[in-house]
Order: sequence, then C-alpha cells, then structure tokens
Amino acid sequence: MEGLLFNVNNGYVEGIVRGYRNSLLTGSAYNNLTQCETIDDLKLQLGPAYGDFLASLPPNPSTSSLAAKTTEKLISEFRYVRANAVGSLAAFMDYVTYGYMIDNVALLITGTLHERDTRELLERCHPLGWFETMPVLCVATNIEELYNSVLIETPLAPYFKGSLSHQDLDELNIEIVRNTLYKNYLEDFYNFVNTHPDMAGTPTSEEMSEILEFEADRRAINITLNSFGTDLTKADRSKLYPSFGKLYPEGTLMLSRADDPEGVRLAVDGVHDFKTFFDAISVGGGPSGPGNMGGGSSDGKTLEDMFYQKEMEISKGAFTRQFTYAIVYGWVKLREQEIRNITWIAECIAQNQKDRIGNYISVF
Amino acid sequence: MSGAADREAVFPTRQSLGLMKAKLKGAETGHNLLKRKSEALTKRFREITKRIDEAKRKMGRVMQIAAFSLAEVTYAVGGDIGYQVQESAKSARFRIRTKQDNVSGVLLPAFESYLTEGNNDFGLTGLGKGGQQVQRCRETYARAVEALVELASLQTAFVILDEVIKVVNRRVNAIEHVIIPRTENTIKYINSELDELDPAADAEMKAKREAQAAQGAKSQSEDTGPSDILAAADEEDVIF
Repeated sequence: MEGLLFNVNNGYVEGIVRGYRNSLLTGSAYNNLTQCETIDDLKLQLGPAYGDFLASLPPNPSTSSLAAKTTEKLISEFRYVRANAVGSLAAFMDYVTYGYMIDNVALLITGTLHERDTRELLERCHPLGWFETMPVLCVATNIEELYNSVLIETPLAPYFKGSLSHQDLDELNIEIVRNTLYKNYLEDFYNFVNTHPDMAGTPTSEEMSEILEFEADRRAINITLNSFGTDLTKADRSKLYPSFGKLYPEGTLMLSRADDPEGVRLAVDGVHDFKTFFDAISVGGGPSGPGNMGGGSSDGKTLEDMFYQKEMEISKGAFTRQFTYAIVYGWVKLREQEIRNITWIAECIAQNQKDRIGNYISVF
Repeated sequence: MSGAADREAVFPTRQSLGLMKAKLKGAETGHNLLKRKSEALTKRFREITKRIDEAKRKMGRVMQIAAFSLAEVTYAVGGDIGYQVQESAKSARFRIRTKQDNVSGVLLPAFESYLTEGNNDFGLTGLGKGGQQVQRCRETYARAVEALVELASLQTAFVILDEVIKVVNRRVNAIEHVIIPRTENTIKYINSELDELDPAADAEMKAKREAQAAQGAKSQSEDTGPSDILAAADEEDVIF
C-alpha cells in the first residue's frame, strides 16, 4: 500500500540517496587507501569520490582538514536532499538533525556557563545541527535568560521541558544534560516514526525502530560502562536510559544496578547480539577486562568497534527495503562512518602506525 | 708570561716575599679544590647528558603513542571534544613541585610531578560514546607530560651545570696559567732583587739588626728580676 503513493512525493529523493549510497567507498577502495604512503597519495585515491571537495586542500593536508572537507561533502549533499524533501520526509530529516543540534546546544551552554564569547563557538558547531535561531543563543549572557527566552524557541525545547530546569543547567554536569536531551530525543524520534500517519506500519517504522532501538541500547550500555569510577550515581544513571529498545525494561533495570563490566555483561545476556559482543571481547579482552575497550588488544575488536560495525550493518540493511525514509538516516550514518574511516587511515599514515590501519569498518 | 714583564708590581722586600709565598700556596690549594669541583660537576654533567638522551628518546615514543590515542578518541567519539574538555577542567590534576639538589655547592632545581587525588573534572566526557577512550587518552597524555617534566628537569640542570662548569674551568685555568706563574715570577724577581742588593748594606743592616736584637735582649735581661730600690744607691738625685 505504501508503494502506491510514495514516489509521488519522495521518489526523487529516494533515487538521489540511493545514488549517494553507491558512491560510498567499497572494501577494495579502502584496501587501496591503506596502501598509501603519504597523505597526498590518500588524497589522490579519494579523488573519484571527493575530488571537488579535496581539490582546494594544500599538499599534505592535516588529517583534521581532511576530515573537515569530507564532512563538507556530506553537509552539502544532505542540504540538497533536505531542500528537495517535502511533507513527512522533511520532518523526518529534521529529526535526523536534532541529534547534532543537541551537541551544538550543549556546546553553547558550556560556553555560556563559563561566560565565554559564544560567537566564536558558532564556528565549532556541527553544520548539520545548525538551526535558524542558533545565533540567538549567543545573545543570552546568563543561564536563566538562556533557558527562559532562548532555548524555548529552539526545536529542542520539548526535550528540555519537564526534565531539565534552568537550575539543572547550572548545576548538572553538561554531559548529563546532553545525555538527558539525547534520551528524550531518541524517545521522541521513536514515537514519531511509529505514530506519524505517513510512517506508522510502513517499512520506515520497521527499519527506523530497529536502528533507534539499537542506538538506545548502545547508549544505555555505553553510559553504564563509562560511568564506572565516576561520581555519577546509579539513580542519576538510570534516568539517562531511553525507555525503549531491546534491553528495556528488564535489561536497563539490571544495567542501572550494575557495578562492574561483569554486571553489564549479565544485564545484556538476554539479547543475542550484545551477548556475542561481550563474549567476543571477554575472550580477546585480556586481563584488562571488557571495560577497557580500545585498550591494549590491538588485534581484537573493541566493544565500540563492534557497535559501529553493527550500526553499519543495520544502516546497510535499510537499503534493502524500498519506499522507506530510513535510507536517509542509514546513508547519513554510513557517510559519517566513512569520514571516520578516512580520518583514521589518514591518522595512521600521518603518525606512521601502520599496524593498526586495518581498524576501519567497511560494510560494502 | 715571560720574564720580568709578567709579575706583580711590588717592591722587592722580604715582607712582600712572604706575602707572595703565602699567595702562591693559597693559589695552589685553591687550584686543587676547584679542579676537584670541576671534575665532580663534569661527572654529573655527563650523567645528565646521558639521561637527557634517554629521556628524549622516551619522549619521542611516548608522544607518538599519546598522539595516536587522541586519534583513537577522535575515531570513537566522532567529533571534537577539545572545547568540552577545556571548559570542564577546573583545577590542575597533574602538578609539579620543585626541590633542590646540591652538587658540589651548585643548586640544581629538580622537578617532581605528582597527581592530585580525586580530581576528575571531565570524567563524564564521552559518556554517550567513547568515554573509555577519553580516559585512556588522558592517562597516556599524563604519562607523556611526566616524561616532559623529567626532561625539563634534566634540561634545566644541564643549562645550569654547563654555566657553572664553564665558570669553574675558567677559574681553574686562570689560576693554573696566570696567577701561579705570575706569583712564581714575582717570587723569583724578589729573590733576585734581594740577592742583587749591596752585600755591604745587607751586612750593615744585618749588624744593625743584630745589635738591636742584642740591646733588646740586654735591656730585657736588666728588666728581669725584682729591682731593689734601696740597693740602687747610685741613683741620681732628684732635683726639684
């Protein structure tokens, strides 16, 4: 049924995004990249995919400028798609950008709290998370003003409402604010894709539910693992878990009680994917245990890597369905991973650490 | 430093001869002591040079690992966390205290690093993702800074010692090649001048001195013993 009218409004955008997906780097392209001796070689190899954007870089550019330029390409493509989107797809794409907005707002709140000139922070904001009223955030000089008159005008206002007061912004760690917002955002997004008349019961809601559930579980696990050894209390921690996902509610309850990585392992035991992740790292993790991801185990994959891998597979899977908005989300995520991969390979080449260059994640 | 030109402007008298001899002795003692100090400092200096070499190599390795761990953070977090870390850091976690080492009278500052306990300003950074990498990166950089502090301490010692060794060596050389020869020349000069003096005058002076000495001894012997006032009858009358 959804196929009947989908192409009337969204056919063009879907075609464009599928075209973009085909220009993603493939496994053999990555293989070529890892053979490069210098950043210039890398730039040359990236020519077919990123030629226009990398052309203005000086010879032997820094890895950060390389990352900035590759991000620029994603931004311009995203803006093009967004400009051509109408109706519920436009709203869906706005939802995609809210995640970046949260990061930008968190950055600006930090700046306001420390009474910095927030104008110079605007440059550091992620362009995908740009919204029209964002420069207005810089007008506010104290946190109460920011909360009462500025934040309320942003698209993020519903996420603040009810869970954060302006005193909270002042007192709570900015990371907690950020994660609270993100939790609200994920729940809202989940609700949006499952209740909106254009999406409920379509492949969009099926695919997006899978992606968002995974994202929610990943955040819950990460927050738990990262909070060990910090002054985040268990009660505060449990407030940061999104209230959906495969782990919810039993798994998150057990996560909120976990004291060590072993407790996390027990909590996620019920979900097959996560169980295999934890089994894999407890075999290869060595004495430092699964908590120390990205640690000394250079050969074995870390938990973070496996999460990324899984996310990429889900995003890739979204393209197997037709008539769905999820491909836009999947494409953005795949492109982000590609940028991270390129940056990683560039770093490895620049720092002469070739032994770990194969740590990138390629799904095509 | 040859001949009569290089000597001190003194009058060739026995008194200045004595002075010069004392000076020569002093110079030789000083030379010995300074030489020993210079050797002790040079020994320490070589040791420090060796350790600087090691520390620099270590720094190269550690900094490389640290830079790479930052790359890991960038990969895991997927963005720039620099600003956030800067803003959430409130007080220094890694601190330095200085103490002083005494090497042969030279005070060398030594820096000692230590971590303040319970100071975890950005412990929550990357809570959503990449937190472990952030913490690991911080530890790696703490180790890198430790290596830098050690190197800084060695470098400071190196510079100070270098200066002091130069000064001491200059002094040793000055004493060895200027002061001692000159004093010796002066002594030689005084001796030769004294020898050249008129032997007659010399004898006269000697006689005079002997006479004086004899007289002094005589008067002294007269003075000794209780003087009997009554017995001294042949005293001149006192005329008022």
